Amino acid sequence: MTARDNELEALSALMDGEATELELHRVLNTVSSDEALRSRWQRQQWVSQALSGRAPGLDSIDVSGRVREALTQPRPAARNPLWSVAVAASVTFAIVLGGQQLMVPADGDARPAVVSALGGGVVPVFGAQPVQASLETHSVNVPARQAFREPTPRSDFSPFYDQLVRDRYLQLGPVHAAASAGNHSAPFVPMVRSTEVVDPQAKR
Amino acid sequence: MVRRAIQRAAACLLLGGLVSVGFTQPVLAACIAETDPARALTRMLDAHHQVSYRGTLIYERASGRQFFTVEWPGDGVSGELTRMNAGVDPRPERWSPPTLADYQLCALLDVYVPTLDPGRVVSGRATQRLTLRPRDTLRHAYVAEVDERTGMALSMATVVPDGKVLDRFEFAAIEFLERGIVGTGSDGRSAHHTQAAPSLGVSPVPGYFVVAKDDPRSLFVVSDGLATASIFIEPLPPNVPAGEGAVLDGATLTYSRGIIPNGKPILISVLGEIPITTARLLADAVSTGREIP
Repeated sequence: MTARDNELEALSALMDGEATELELHRVLNTVSSDEALRSRWQRQQWVSQALSGRAPGLDSIDVSGRVREALTQPRPAARNPLWSVAVAASVTFAIVLGGQQLMVPADGDARPAVVSALGGGVVPVFGAQPVQASLETHSVNVPARQAFREPTPRSDFSPFYDQLVRDRYLQLGPVHAAASAGNHSAPFVPMVRSTEVVDPQAKR
Repeated sequence: MVRRAIQRAAACLLLGGLVSVGFTQPVLAACIAETDPARALTRMLDAHHQVSYRGTLIYERASGRQFFTVEWPGDGVSGELTRMNAGVDPRPERWSPPTLADYQLCALLDVYVPTLDPGRVVSGRATQRLTLRPRDTLRHAYVAEVDERTGMALSMATVVPDGKVLDRFEFAAIEFLERGIVGTGSDGRSAHHTQAAPSLGVSPVPGYFVVAKDDPRSLFVVSDGLATASIFIEPLPPNVPAGEGAVLDGATLTYSRGIIPNGKPILISVLGEIPITTARLLADAVSTGREIP
């Protein structure tokens, strides 16, 4: 395919309304200096109008000139879809960046939380109350991380169960630890979590 | 008499509950770790079958911090652990050897997404950071610093998905020993290790499988390979109405629910390193069963 064929093909695409923006600019650049191609475009425009039953066009009408004029006139920024996308992206970036800044720990350590990008939904631990009352004076010193604080108790938890559940934790916790050891990749961890001594041999 | 009645009630409730929730019993094949994070996870799971060590570690949670010495294998079979700031002349406690197997990698990869990043220095050793992100809201996340040479976790934090740390441990010092592990075969694997792909237990909650049952003190134990929960059924104390409550100590949640089916009050308690959503589902698996005969 020669360069001339490419120009004619681009012109046909333009007439059919299928030209890309790149083809449009290429045709306009070419017709500005190619009298033959400009005449061809005008003839095709006339034939097209005749076939569609509209009034015959006038040979004096230079369609390419009108198209070029339309393209060269500055369009309102708000009507440019690329500009809209850019604005939307900026707003999104500002929101995301702002949100991340708000999540930086108060101790000023700017290192990101180790699981800040964790997938899935947040798992709030509603209604769980720490067992020991010394929570507020024994905070966990975990740099760059937020130590877990006492959550707000759920109002629908019965007060009857406060002490009952604490008792169950103290009594059943060692049993749970012994049962968990074999299923943990660090098998000493369940025992470390347990507050009482449990000898797994004694269980058998 | 009362104990027998409770056991009968528990058996019926468990059976009915597991049927009602439509548990699955998957047939698992041994998984092949094809990515670096999966390989790191496999090494971490298998580390206690490959190494022996002694060391000192710190464990932290919101209620305080504790120091321990640990040794594996302590007496040749089980591990030893001593609480160093709990009392004078503490006596060692023993912990059971791990029973993890290769096939559990399949189950873990179904519910966690492992990623691997450069780690920090722990106990003077180079590590890689292995992060296990949950694929659903039924389990916590884990961030472990695994030893580059042995694959063993030298630190691990249990984390909720919004980044809050529930608890963590870290070795302050560790010495890997040359001695072998009792029961280690010619392939270097201990007698506790199995490559077989047995069918895991029933799954009352997605991703959790029954790993033990019929213990005289608990109804059954479930695990997803990392998190474990124990379910207990006992008589509901007199004058306590039906209801529920929960406490959280570190990563360990205790959730209790009192129900009075057919006028026979029972107390279902779930203990585990799980979100309360999971604890409620596990209690549902028991309490939504058939009526007590």
